[in-house]
Amino acid sequence: MIEVQSLVKRYGSFEAVRDVSFSVGAGRVVGLLGPNGAGKTTIMKVLTGYHRPSSGSATLAGRDVVADPIGAKALIGYLPEGVPLYLDMSVYEFLSFVVDARNLPQAGRKQAIDRAMEACGLGKVAGVRMERLSKGYRQRVGLAQAIVHDPDILILDEPTTGLDPNQILEIRSLIRSLGAEKTVILSTHILQEVEALCSEVLILNEGRIVAQGSAADIAARMPGEERLDCSVKGATPAAIEALSRVAVIRGVQVLGNTPSERPAVDIEKIRVVADSGHGDEAAEAVFDWAASNGAKLLELRRDRLSMEDIFVRLTREDTVS
Amino acid sequence: MRGSVTVARREIAAYFNSPVAYIFIVSFLLTCGVIFFFLERFFAVGQASMRGYFSLMPFVLSVLAPALTMRLWAEERRAGTYELLLTMPFRDGDMVFGKYLASMAVIGVALALSVPVPLLVSLFGRLDPGVILAEYLGAAFMASAAVAIGQAVSGASRNQMSAFMITVLSLLFLSLLSQLTSWVALPAWLASAVNWVSLSYHFVSFSRGVVDTRDLAYFALITAGSLYATARVVTAGRWR
Repeated sequence: MIEVQSLVKRYGSFEAVRDVSFSVGAGRVVGLLGPNGAGKTTIMKVLTGYHRPSSGSATLAGRDVVADPIGAKALIGYLPEGVPLYLDMSVYEFLSFVVDARNLPQAGRKQAIDRAMEACGLGKVAGVRMERLSKGYRQRVGLAQAIVHDPDILILDEPTTGLDPNQILEIRSLIRSLGAEKTVILSTHILQEVEALCSEVLILNEGRIVAQGSAADIAARMPGEERLDCSVKGATPAAIEALSRVAVIRGVQVLGNTPSERPAVDIEKIRVVADSGHGDEAAEAVFDWAASNGAKLLELRRDRLSMEDIFVRLTREDTVS
Repeated sequence: MRGSVTVARREIAAYFNSPVAYIFIVSFLLTCGVIFFFLERFFAVGQASMRGYFSLMPFVLSVLAPALTMRLWAEERRAGTYELLLTMPFRDGDMVFGKYLASMAVIGVALALSVPVPLLVSLFGRLDPGVILAEYLGAAFMASAAVAIGQAVSGASRNQMSAFMITVLSLLFLSLLSQLTSWVALPAWLASAVNWVSLSYHFVSFSRGVVDTRDLAYFALITAGSLYATARVVTAGRWR
């Protein structure tokens, strides 16, 4: 649905996007993730035909954004960053303008507006001038204007910034339901959002893609370590020492001990660290060790790399070598 | 063309949703009225003619038309709606022409509301309807050039105030140019060149009730040229 080939965008001497290529299939929800200035918004501006690529190409359903800008724009619903709206108009007036601009068939215009207002919960404010609306409502109007013409592709630049937690949940569920039949690209720096919504993630840093795939794929490919947080009852310091000598285990840290009701037996909280990709072996080893040392394993939790960890590691200045 | 109508409707709504259109219309009618009845002393002159009403039209429009055009692009840029507009499936020319139509519509309303003045004048003597028509036609063409120039300036400006000031100055300059030829002795070829560029020079025959196709062509050329320049400026790499 979306094909981006060696895209470069320079602003003067500043390279905002450097040689980015990716493709997005129909019906996918893709998250663009990255710190500020990573090039997320620039990529969106190129896809929507607002900025011209310096080199490389972008095509939407086979329509090149430079060669056929009007054809490409017609496929898209776009929510720009900061949600610019014609504040002097009422919600309904504004959506009517959008429907005219999108050249919907005359007969279906009213239904299209009603459907979009319904989906975004705007029924109560249809006649209100938008300058009187709260930020949350403006965000919804922005989303409504992006979906009113039922586009194949939705491009949403930070769709949930400035919303309260309830509104965030509402907007997310709306995006999720739209994502069932449309191709959605959204940018965000809220990491839970990516985990909650996106089937695929593009992590950008300084204009380049540094990781691509589902969150789980990216985590699996990350260099690093696997951590197992365990609570063990009745493990002696000597036994813990023995655990750290097991082949697949790189180290054991004692995080602390909680006195149990019976003072004789302490519960130790330990963290077992293994090389990445050896999580399963390490977990088995811990289990066997506990059994053979007469210790009871109360809890064993694999600490997976969260989106936060991945993000921080990939976009830090001293990126992992 | 469909896109132009959509953009024009949005702009007309913006004019009338804010005080801009009303202020423009009232100022226009007041200024022309004051000039006509007080400065040109219609009642003292004792002639049933609208010439006084239109005599200073280039200067009135030089000051008032920029108030209409200053917001056209500068405001879109400030509010960020520029991005919204430019990512809609409009052709560049449609957006520019739509905005031009909207400004002309407001001026059209102002001119229409001035019609009672010639009707009043006709009470005092026979008015030549042909002359009145020529004067209105000239005012409309003059306004068209002013509005197109104003839009081009707004297209290149970041804020409304500078768009307004620059437009006023450019229009006054173009209007006053023809005065230059009467103050300073210029070689004939230069004088005619200066006159040709001047807005007010081309308005003079209209205000006498004469429609000259050369004047029509001049205003049409200025309008088309400025609209083309706007389309280029608005979508040029500078802003992207």
